[in-house]
Amino acid sequence: MNFLKDPFDVIVCGAGHAGCEAALAAARMGVRTLVLSGNIDTIAQMSCNPAIGGVAKGQIVREIDALGGEMAVNTDVTGIQFRLLNASKGPAVQSPRAQCDKRAYALRMKHVLELQENLQVFQATVTGLIFKDGKVVGCRTNIDVDFHAKTVVITTGTFLRGLMHIGKNKNEGGRMGDYSAKTLSGSFLEAGIELERLKTGTPPRLLGRTIDFNNLEEQKGDFDPTLFAFHDTRDERDLFHVEQKGETLAGWKPGTDQVSCWITYTSEQTANVVNENLHLSAMYGGEIEGTGPRYCPSIEDKFVRFADRSRHLLFLEPEGRHTDEYYINGLSTSLPFETQIEMIRSISGLEEAQLLRPAYAVEYDFAPPTQVFPHLESKKVENLFFAGQINGTSGYEEAACQGLVAGVNAALKVRGDEPLVLKRHDGYIGVLIDDLVTKGTQEPYRMFTSRAEHRLLFNHGSSENRMFDYAKKYRLLADSRISKIEKKRSDIEGCIKWMNSNRVGELTWANLVRRNQPDFEMPKELMGYSKEVRDEAMYQVKYDGYLKREWKQVEKLKNVENIKIPVGFDFLTVNGLKKECALKLNDFQPANLGQASRISGVNPADISILMIRFSS
Amino acid sequence: MNDQDTIVAVATPHGESAISMLRISGPKCLSLVDNVFKRKSPPRPRRSSHGDYISLSDELLDDVVYCYYQGPSSYTGEDSLEIMCHGNPLIASKVLHDLVGRGCRQADPGEFTQRAFLNGRIDLTQAEAVMELIQARSDKAIRVANNQLRGAFGKQLAVLKDQLLSNVAVIEAYIDFPEEDLPEEQKQAQINGIQKVMTFCSRLIDSSKYAALLRDGVKTLILGEPNAGKSSLLNCLLGFDRAIVSEEPGTTRDFLQERLILGDYSIQLLDTAGLREAEGTIERQGILKTIELAEEADVFLLVVDGSLPCPTLPEEILGKMNSENTIVIRNKEDLPKSEEGYSILSGFSSVSICAKDGNGLEGLRNTLFSLIDSNFSSADDELILINARHSLALNELKECLEQALAKFELDESAELIASDMRGAIDAIGRILGRIDNEDMLDVLFSSFCIGK
Repeated sequence: MNFLKDPFDVIVCGAGHAGCEAALAAARMGVRTLVLSGNIDTIAQMSCNPAIGGVAKGQIVREIDALGGEMAVNTDVTGIQFRLLNASKGPAVQSPRAQCDKRAYALRMKHVLELQENLQVFQATVTGLIFKDGKVVGCRTNIDVDFHAKTVVITTGTFLRGLMHIGKNKNEGGRMGDYSAKTLSGSFLEAGIELERLKTGTPPRLLGRTIDFNNLEEQKGDFDPTLFAFHDTRDERDLFHVEQKGETLAGWKPGTDQVSCWITYTSEQTANVVNENLHLSAMYGGEIEGTGPRYCPSIEDKFVRFADRSRHLLFLEPEGRHTDEYYINGLSTSLPFETQIEMIRSISGLEEAQLLRPAYAVEYDFAPPTQVFPHLESKKVENLFFAGQINGTSGYEEAACQGLVAGVNAALKVRGDEPLVLKRHDGYIGVLIDDLVTKGTQEPYRMFTSRAEHRLLFNHGSSENRMFDYAKKYRLLADSRISKIEKKRSDIEGCIKWMNSNRVGELTWANLVRRNQPDFEMPKELMGYSKEVRDEAMYQVKYDGYLKREWKQVEKLKNVENIKIPVGFDFLTVNGLKKECALKLNDFQPANLGQASRISGVNPADISILMIRFSS
Repeated sequence: MNDQDTIVAVATPHGESAISMLRISGPKCLSLVDNVFKRKSPPRPRRSSHGDYISLSDELLDDVVYCYYQGPSSYTGEDSLEIMCHGNPLIASKVLHDLVGRGCRQADPGEFTQRAFLNGRIDLTQAEAVMELIQARSDKAIRVANNQLRGAFGKQLAVLKDQLLSNVAVIEAYIDFPEEDLPEEQKQAQINGIQKVMTFCSRLIDSSKYAALLRDGVKTLILGEPNAGKSSLLNCLLGFDRAIVSEEPGTTRDFLQERLILGDYSIQLLDTAGLREAEGTIERQGILKTIELAEEADVFLLVVDGSLPCPTLPEEILGKMNSENTIVIRNKEDLPKSEEGYSILSGFSSVSICAKDGNGLEGLRNTLFSLIDSNFSSADDELILINARHSLALNELKECLEQALAKFELDESAELIASDMRGAIDAIGRILGRIDNEDMLDVLFSSFCIGK
């Protein structure tokens, strides 16, 4: 096993959504990478619902694609239903979402990892880290083999001291059927990295043929699906799973064989069952110490906190084409198994349904993310990077984008280059990481569009444009794709210029677009451009005033962002700064005044003091 | 700023009084206590002690009461010392000079408050309120500044903020959670909510003029023809001879300014040059100045010689006068009354006095008070906008809300309305401190059951 003995450049511990992107990003940057997973059959496993994207998350996936990540392509080729959400709320908040074939998604991703040059996949559970002189230099595994590397990326998901609850029943593990990484937490504590507990949950899975769909509301995919990847990857060889109807050679055809989701509701009887058995719930019975997410409450939480609501919405999502398993979105619970059955019986359409897997809550360790820099390297241990749920986030997309950033930065660190740091005005990834490192999180952090102050700049179609400078600078995309994007950018500019300079009567086309007429028709002269180009040009023309306003705000904020704070600066030396605040700032080590201003507990008066100190 | 300095100032107003207080803040305080009072033991913080103030030249200046405050439990957050000496200006000044001799620096205006702010002892609105309090010139202004100091203004804004947050939370809920089983969107309720905030905001903005009025006083212009008795009236109202009174018309060539306290109000009395075709250049300038002052005046006191026909006033001034801001004072009531031409002044309240002997003065004071009171007392003490920074932020808030409302009317997309509403939240945050998105999410998740 010579290949494993040589030290690696990057080791990625974990091969979930964060781990896969981290491993691919590092390997694609040309550094020697090893990805370790306790069970390589579960690479890129969708542990919760079988869907990718959604509001804000869809934009993240497109940004991942624009930075050379794999999630978008993987979703496009294994998706079985596509919907564009928020069609009526305006183009900036429109978000693509896809139901994926769960097995296909995981299998294809595993295959991509296997085929990736510079990347070694290996099955072993990481049991501890090896430190030397305050730096991480490798990891130990359950098979008593040590691996050495210049950098290590931690993507442990829910596996760090994972503990699952079904009522009073407890099982160790990060996911039903899997193990728990029990000893790795000790390595973090030994290195002075603080850990806390979070909680999340997952609903029961049901057998489709035992569900009565007759009275349920059907939700179909869009006739004209919105895909995630910007470049067309779907030639015949790439089609992994999505089946073809007819003779097409061009990949998946709209209107052919998308699967449906189904909608049902809880009943009064469900409420009674839940309320009568509340004391048996792990959450309410005091079995769980971790904090759960507000946006994804358990069903017991919903009935308690919103007692006046007579019913709650449930989505039935198919888990794939070659399985009859259904995911019951909205019915996450930690009630005992018997109660779960009683609950299912009380729901319209599910009266006879058979459970394939029970619902459960899972508690796990995370490392409060204020302990990492914006490039996701630990502040305490050099060369150690963190991504995904270990940083307190929730969701495949949130995990994947951090994995990508951590992977790129691990590779940059190996090469001795400046790290990649996305800004809040670059996109949702920038917002996500900045929120995490400056504010930390009290619950599993999920992205919402409202978290972005420059939301109008973040329409999903502009992701490639927004990420371009980074993709080019760090060579995250193939040269051929870079030149394609350059062409696209100049086409968009040309299109906008044309609309600003050509008139219909008194008005320019740009004026006409902004008039918001429902029967507006694209001028013939622009039909030569691709739809992608036309859409983006239309967006920029229509929202011109708003986009300018946003940029003005960005420029204003840049002033504080540009006031740099020297590395290792001791805030206790600043006259007039409260000691408590100075200690906090010493802890966070913000790189500039903008970051300092977003740290919770640092108030505007403190910032005025720092401004006086650093601008003179 | 160098807060290694120890600063000192006489905190009580200059002049004879029972006690004068000197305030000292900075790192030297403790050693000052030791050196000046030759104590055997260190002073107990926040306890008053009695001691002899011995100067550097070993002279006993006064026997005083002093109190030491240990930072951060002091007004400025630093070590502080207060020395109460006898209220003779000479003593206070000797002590001050001695303290400067011992290495203290005389404080700049507002420096104690600035230190308190920089040390995090008070927030920005409170710091501003302290400054207002120092500058306040009437009971009402003091009450308002005190209210703000206690956070009344902040509380008002917090109510505004809550209303706004709940509006934004609704808009955001429909954007971020399109597939949740949310109740039907209530556009009208949203509009009503925003309008409510706007009305409230407008009231605060309107009251900004009132705030300036409290701070600077009600600008009251005394005007009239030469020799109508304007300066005599001023002197009567003030109770001492401020203006030069003479029989020769046109004596007051520039204008005179005095402050008068009337009930709750502070009044800035402006005695102007006489209005008539001027012969001398200086006098002509005086009249132009009067016209300029009329532009900004809150109240006009038109003094006429009641024994003469009604004078003609320049259009520029007459145009500013109305029944709510003008009192016609018919002076010289002791002389026979003329009615000629007075019909054009019939819309104004009118008072007859004799400035020479003070007759009718009480009536004038009452009329003036009720005129000011009825104009300016509608804004209650709680509802006062204090400074230009607040006013700027509130105007921006209002503008954002107007834009949001317009978009509601036109049925524009939610993301654009949300963008305006975010502007509104930022504007209010400029007064109250940045409002984090977490605050909005807290409202959102407590009002809607999100859980797909």
